[in-house]
Amino acid sequence: MAILRKIKEGLKNMIRGKKTVRKTAPASGQKKKEDLSAGTNKEALGMRETAVERAKFSHPEPTRRPWSMPQDLPGGYGQDRAVLQVRDPWWLHAYWEITGPTFDSFKTRLADAFYSAKMVIRVYDVSDIIFDGKNAHSFFDVKINPQANNWYIDTGGPGRSWCVDVGLRLANGEFITIVRSNTVRTPLEGPSWITDEEWMIPDDMFARLYGMGFGFGRSSPVGKGWQEKMKREFFSSGIGSAGISSSPVKKQVKERQFWLVVNTELIVYGATEPDAKVTVQGKDIRLRPDGTFTLRFALPDGKQVIPVQATSADQVETRTITPVVTKETR
Amino acid sequence: MNKGYLCLVLHSHLPFVRHPEHEDFLEEDWLYEAITETYIPLILVFEKLLSDKVDFRLTISLTPTLISMLGDNLLQERYLRHINKLIELAHKEVDRTRWQPDFNHLANMYLARFYEARNVFERYNRNLVFAFKAFQDSGNLEIVTCGATHGFFPLMDVIKPSIRAQVKVAVSYYEKVFGRKPKGIWLPECGYNPADDEILKEAGIKYFFSDAHGILHGNPRPKYGVFAPVYCKSGVACFGRDLESSKQVWSSVEGYPGDYVYREFYRDIGFDLDFDYIRPYIHPDGVRINTGIKYYRITGTDNNKQPYNPHWARERAAEHAGNFMFNREKQVEYLYDLMQKKPLIVSPYDAELYGHWWYEGPMWLDFLIRKIYFDQKIIRMITPSEYLAENPRNQVVTPSMSSWGYKGYSEMWLQGANDWLYRYLHQASLRMTELVKRFPHNPADELTRRGLNQALRELLLAQSSDWAFIIGTGTHISYAVKRTKDHILRFTGLYEQIKANSIDEAWLADLERNDNIFPDIDYRVHQ
Repeated sequence: MAILRKIKEGLKNMIRGKKTVRKTAPASGQKKKEDLSAGTNKEALGMRETAVERAKFSHPEPTRRPWSMPQDLPGGYGQDRAVLQVRDPWWLHAYWEITGPTFDSFKTRLADAFYSAKMVIRVYDVSDIIFDGKNAHSFFDVKINPQANNWYIDTGGPGRSWCVDVGLRLANGEFITIVRSNTVRTPLEGPSWITDEEWMIPDDMFARLYGMGFGFGRSSPVGKGWQEKMKREFFSSGIGSAGISSSPVKKQVKERQFWLVVNTELIVYGATEPDAKVTVQGKDIRLRPDGTFTLRFALPDGKQVIPVQATSADQVETRTITPVVTKETR
Repeated sequence: MNKGYLCLVLHSHLPFVRHPEHEDFLEEDWLYEAITETYIPLILVFEKLLSDKVDFRLTISLTPTLISMLGDNLLQERYLRHINKLIELAHKEVDRTRWQPDFNHLANMYLARFYEARNVFERYNRNLVFAFKAFQDSGNLEIVTCGATHGFFPLMDVIKPSIRAQVKVAVSYYEKVFGRKPKGIWLPECGYNPADDEILKEAGIKYFFSDAHGILHGNPRPKYGVFAPVYCKSGVACFGRDLESSKQVWSSVEGYPGDYVYREFYRDIGFDLDFDYIRPYIHPDGVRINTGIKYYRITGTDNNKQPYNPHWARERAAEHAGNFMFNREKQVEYLYDLMQKKPLIVSPYDAELYGHWWYEGPMWLDFLIRKIYFDQKIIRMITPSEYLAENPRNQVVTPSMSSWGYKGYSEMWLQGANDWLYRYLHQASLRMTELVKRFPHNPADELTRRGLNQALRELLLAQSSDWAFIIGTGTHISYAVKRTKDHILRFTGLYEQIKANSIDEAWLADLERNDNIFPDIDYRVHQ
């Protein structure tokens, strides 16, 4: 049992993660390397999948676009509505719209009390019940910015069902619902404690399978190194906070990375009769229809002897010109 | 006799990107690169295996958007233009590197590869789906479907009719292309939400995949962990991903693709060479892009890269294939003793990892399949439907909500940068449901029917998880933002015109030409 608990703990940290996705914007394709290898120190679940998927879309953006951006989407749809979604076992996301007339009606109804009221989200634990507004197992309030139209909520309760009201908490403590969301259920953060008789499994055996399922198993020297590393990283870390806000801004630390690259290329060009046969260093080249030609070579250090030979179409005449180029890098 | 099974799954997907209104469109290159670097190399591996009479089993998902693009005439024409330009560039590179033997043979290698890609492309009449279909018909490949446009189901929980449409449109499209129903589905981003399997069952799908914690955190506790599939209450089977085998390929630390002799993805001549020289082969605006010609090996962690050596890389790929097989044998032997039953190892990967990102990936796969076939008897490659036919009795477990995305749930697609999308996506879906209720039978009026069908196309295109994904990564987001907005606005326009009974035929025809996916769509599946 102890093994299972230990693995569970590690996993909790692993899935919960202590990092947010790096959101640096590389200036060019090359720079992206650092961006991705930032994940090499620690790997959260799905991190490589994300990095690889991202590489599918690995293009810089043209500076100007041939299109005009579309007209904007509406700010709202003129409906009172709240929608709740699950982000992970702990966190929910709610978005809502409360229309002007609805606000006004509360203003009229509550008079002065409206102005001292606070906008809150009331989060109800409605696990395994049909929620009627009063029978929740428990609830808690999250104070929100009155201008907000969406919010992330830390429920602290995986494997439970939740429903939220966006509403007003009056100075006297009374809560008034403006709009109620749908109900959602967060997934478990670890294995279920429910087993079925027919498919019974001893705890220690399940613990082994469970660990292996996550790659903590024993099978190979390579696998072992990886497991050790994962164990070290995931088991030693404390409980992280997945703290997020509606607009997380990551600070970027700029490293000094001054650099210089110099390469040289040599252009050999010329002209002859359009129907002549031309070789450069013994290799045939193609002439343009007007008899001109251009060749471009990467030029390494050292001496290049470049005989250019043209032979007339009737093979009677031949001319050879041989440039010699010496390059050195200091 | 074998002691366990290996089920390799390749998930191939690209979002629908097709812009007839522009002569040159950067994002269309996603497809062209994947064709040259992943799909064609994989097809060549499969062809060679068959001609060498190596019996193999692979499972591959081809998303409906990818199949649509591979079969599209305009994109086929443009791919040819693309590969012809690459051939031209490779010729120039062969000349240019004449005095650099370390690079010259690589330039020749690329030239040969590009010619080969063009040949394969022409050989299958420009539609590579035919190639995959042939391998399915020969019994080596099991092609599974995916959400119609790769919508992420866990964030569509409040709009179930859209999940149904994603599944049903995908299934009918699959039937049309492959002449049979799909047995399985790759849920987009492996995103599962309990009860979604009911919709899969309605559509006749027998199985899907989930990430490891989807099964391991399922209820009740799964007796065999991820090493045997479970049945959902609906009777649809769920196969859990094995993370150990996954990590060996995916991990940037111990993973094979990071090996120093392998080709470096980030050093491309599109960035390295003189601007004037490379200009005809990059974006017309002069923005440097990857050409696919890359001369260096990973070498190490710093920027001082050494030239790529294909022979060393090939040796290493063979070594890594041997290592992977050895590890699976050990894993299977251990599990067989523990479980007293043949374990099933399910190892899914993004197909585009192979070849595009990990250049040697297709070669590795080739070595692996041959080694498994010739060198050992402990593991057997199998497809999910074969497994179920041989092992019909499995535990009933409700898998846990999960995905294979960052941190294992929905955060990649639901975070500060992209959470605003859902307000619009959900509203559009509700409106689509409203339209279906208003027109429960195919309207006699041709124009209304076309409008309704196009409305569903626009809605589905807006739902691609790729847009939220790209916006979530925070880089180069403007295309993804534009696509979401465009499709939502087009949907909204159609919705309003249909309701007002005043459809602008010219505009509709324009949408039908540009967003021409799923020609036989029936809007009534959205319910």
